[in-house]
Amino acid sequence: MVTLSLSNKRYTYVQKSASEQSLREAIDIHHVNINGSRVTGFARRRGFAFFLVLLASCMYFFLGKDNPVRLLSWICILSGFLVMLQSRKTVKKESVIIMPTFGIQLETQYLSGKIVSRFIPIGKILKPVLVECVTPVTCYWSLSLFLRGEDQLTLVFKELRPPLKMLVPIWKALCAVIGTDQSEMIVEEEHAVSG
Amino acid sequence: MAEPPKLRVLMVSDFFFPNFGGVENHIYYLSQCLLKLGHKVVVMTHAYGNRSGVRYMTGGLKVYYVPWRPFVMQTTFPTVYGTLPIVRTILRREKITVVHGHQAFSTLCHEALMHARTMGYKVVFTDHSLYGFADVGSIHMNKVLQFSLADIDQAICVSHTSKENTVLRSGLSPAKVFMIPNAVDTAMFKPASVRPSTDVITIVVISRLVYRKGADLLVEVIPKVCRLYPNVRFVVGGDGPKHVRLEEMREKHSLQDRVEMLGAVPHSRVRSVLITGHVFLNSSLTEAFCIAILEAASCGLLTVSTRVGGVPEACNVLPDDMVVLAEPDPDDMVRAIEKAISILPSINPEEMHNRMKKLYSWQDVAKRTEIVYDRALKCSNRNLLERLSRYLSCGAWAGKLFCMVMIVDYLLWRLLQLLQPDEDIEEAPDIFLHHHGEKIN
Repeated sequence: MVTLSLSNKRYTYVQKSASEQSLREAIDIHHVNINGSRVTGFARRRGFAFFLVLLASCMYFFLGKDNPVRLLSWICILSGFLVMLQSRKTVKKESVIIMPTFGIQLETQYLSGKIVSRFIPIGKILKPVLVECVTPVTCYWSLSLFLRGEDQLTLVFKELRPPLKMLVPIWKALCAVIGTDQSEMIVEEEHAVSG
Repeated sequence: MAEPPKLRVLMVSDFFFPNFGGVENHIYYLSQCLLKLGHKVVVMTHAYGNRSGVRYMTGGLKVYYVPWRPFVMQTTFPTVYGTLPIVRTILRREKITVVHGHQAFSTLCHEALMHARTMGYKVVFTDHSLYGFADVGSIHMNKVLQFSLADIDQAICVSHTSKENTVLRSGLSPAKVFMIPNAVDTAMFKPASVRPSTDVITIVVISRLVYRKGADLLVEVIPKVCRLYPNVRFVVGGDGPKHVRLEEMREKHSLQDRVEMLGAVPHSRVRSVLITGHVFLNSSLTEAFCIAILEAASCGLLTVSTRVGGVPEACNVLPDDMVVLAEPDPDDMVRAIEKAISILPSINPEEMHNRMKKLYSWQDVAKRTEIVYDRALKCSNRNLLERLSRYLSCGAWAGKLFCMVMIVDYLLWRLLQLLQPDEDIEEAPDIFLHHHGEKIN
């Protein structure tokens, strides 16, 4: 069930809630998809890479040994490999799945279909923060997590840079989940001390 | 909900906290007073070590520590066009209306002013120091300044001497230059509640131990004064390359118990060092204005200073019995110290402090700076061709070079607009701090 959807030129943000009767609270899923033809062109890229390799082999075998154009064939093969590697690294979608009292799952789905995910238990999260990252050429907002026992902040969206208006609902959802859990943890500690 | 800010100012300089100095202090105090007047102020500087990214200081002052590596004396490596993307991003994000650059020696300041002019923003520049005309370094520096100030809206100098110096170096029209002297934080620099005893007269020196600040003069003056007056001792605060010479002087004349070397003194401790003394000694060889003298006077110390640069102007408002001036010559300085010691008993620290409170305040500096910003905003917008004609007048070869630089800058800006349109740069929300907590708008 889609509860919220925002989009701009580059990204589309979709929030879905799935509620089941066995759970006290709904699981919250937040997706950020990349727009544009570069995402849907995975098959086209594979075709293009294959064409480059084919062209390279034709040039190599059919042209004479002394022909300098043969050098182009190596360049074509290299370009073909680079296109394939690049399409494996191109991100299609990043998601945050919030499971109350259990944890959160951060997923990155690539064009090639590969999904990389990381689960963070709720007890490990200290606080979600919105930070402004400054690089030598630009400045952008990012959503990060303070985790127990780790020096560095953990980025929620590792590859994508969604705008602030998409990050704010996710940050609020994370705060709501952490907030309730923190007060429960304090109550449990008091019981442990007194008992 | 708070009213929207009247002006949105970007202060740009290589020199800002955690680095300590007169320019850094000036930017900070001016920004705080402007924030209190209801404007929005953002500071842009380069990263200092680990301190990189966005930081918020007192009053909601937002500071961008941009990760560009400093190379010589805390100035950013000059790449001419390298800072265009980040400057454009910050100007759009914060919806800046006026860009205010500080200090002629700051490469980041010159680059930011150039990019701001290309993008059509109003620009103000403040010069804090006096520079020479004769040596190779100064000649190049002055040419860069001429380029930077050729198309500026308004300029500010901290004394009439500094205004004369800036106008001569840059060829700027004097009508565009305002004179706003620095101020001193009289709330922080208060005299001691109990004045130290005058059995042993303490002369305090707090400055960077470098050639410009007259460390070599100190090396000559201190042994002479110690010989003439057995009840005088010196306290020297600050560090620098000339530290070694002062140590050698102590060893040579066996003055270890008469001359105390404190090393670098953080600004928060300067007052506590000043109030241990009776006389403040300033031996600078050049000074556009001298805040150190005002800080010492605010703490109730009698000042002895060299008559250089803008010091006489700073001292004009102080009566003759609060400051003694001398030529930058060891014998003349010793005579001035003798005179100071003789008039010491008639000094009233509280009265000096009260007088300083009335004369110098940062609120006054901020109000005057606000007038400069309003004047800058009223300046007409000029298109590229009109602006290029100003650069052509900078010199036979230099004029043409500057025009080329500006044309390339303009083309690069247009290219950036194609690659990342202005609408794609999202605006940062304003954060207004209130007494009872934060409210994000």
